[in-house]
Amino acid sequence: MTTATRSLLASALVGLGVLAAPALVAAETFRVDDTATLPSETTALLRWRDFAPSGAAQETLEGSVAVAVRLNLTPVLNRTGRLYLVLPKQGTTPVRVSWATQGRLLPGEISPGLRTLVYQGPVTSPYLEETLALRIEADGNFLPGMQPLDFHFEFDAD
Amino acid sequence: MIAVVGACMSVALVAGDAGAFTVNITARNPRTIYLQVGVGTFTGGTYTAGGSPANNPTVNVVSVNVPAAQIGSGTAQAMTTNSTASQSLYDNFTFCNLPGQLYIGGFYRSTSNSGAATLIATSPANLINSTGNTIPFTQIRWTSSGNGDTGAQPFPAGAFVGGVQTIGSISRNQWAESCHSFSYSNSAVVAAGTYTGRVTYTLSVP
Repeated sequence: MTTATRSLLASALVGLGVLAAPALVAAETFRVDDTATLPSETTALLRWRDFAPSGAAQETLEGSVAVAVRLNLTPVLNRTGRLYLVLPKQGTTPVRVSWATQGRLLPGEISPGLRTLVYQGPVTSPYLEETLALRIEADGNFLPGMQPLDFHFEFDAD
Repeated sequence: MIAVVGACMSVALVAGDAGAFTVNITARNPRTIYLQVGVGTFTGGTYTAGGSPANNPTVNVVSVNVPAAQIGSGTAQAMTTNSTASQSLYDNFTFCNLPGQLYIGGFYRSTSNSGAATLIATSPANLINSTGNTIPFTQIRWTSSGNGDTGAQPFPAGAFVGGVQTIGSISRNQWAESCHSFSYSNSAVVAAGTYTGRVTYTLSVP
């Protein structure tokens, strides 16, 4: 094999590698840039669901807060995949968060340690804006002070 | 293959630049208490019907008329109340029997496990009549029960001490109630008259 032939072969391998790149990227989960996302209030004040306790221990605190979501989807523009809202495990208070949307994202619910699908399909715009109306429920036995709930979005590209 | 590695690095940079949004949660009313001695008020129905507790300034009376022939006999005299609270405002269950029992109940809400709420009673040393004669408050005692109850009462039987004393406690996130049946010990001969004294019940939380 001549030097020239080896060079051509190397170029061909590089070319195959580039062609194979999308398949490798598909295995990646993108952490979506949501730094422009803002809750309407930094702190959600939760009320007792039942003003007085009962023998059945109705000890749920509940409240709501709106979140103006603005996602930078530029890295996955024109790709297809699934967008998830993620709530990593955190704190000691059992919580359950559900939400309604204005239609661009799916409504759903989530608990710490889980992620929930909020969109599936092609990304056709570099930015996605939506308002989530969060409804938060927490166990009143385990919320002695303030607890942060840190959410983020992930995108699984096809 | 180098190009592939470059693409992967690019993905990693996107992940590193991404943020997260935080919603802090806290209780609006971490601690709430409700105490009812005698009559009380819930607006909007009972608790189980969605009602909420409200202030009721009524001070109920527990009294007894001791027949002249019985004064100082040592035979305890059962007392009655003018309270109309026989039903628990929790669920309208007829918990106390009127007029022989005084309803005492309440609840304690808290998001922190810092202990139970404590019910104390403050009684003066004596009941007193219009001419200054006295009866020690220690002459008044009570038993405790409640219709349908089989276990220990949250506010058990006792006697006034003529000062500050603990009546019972309410565990965190619990509703507690008892019916007190008061009696006058009638162990001393006292001058005729109407003897009065006020007991103040106070529910406090840690």
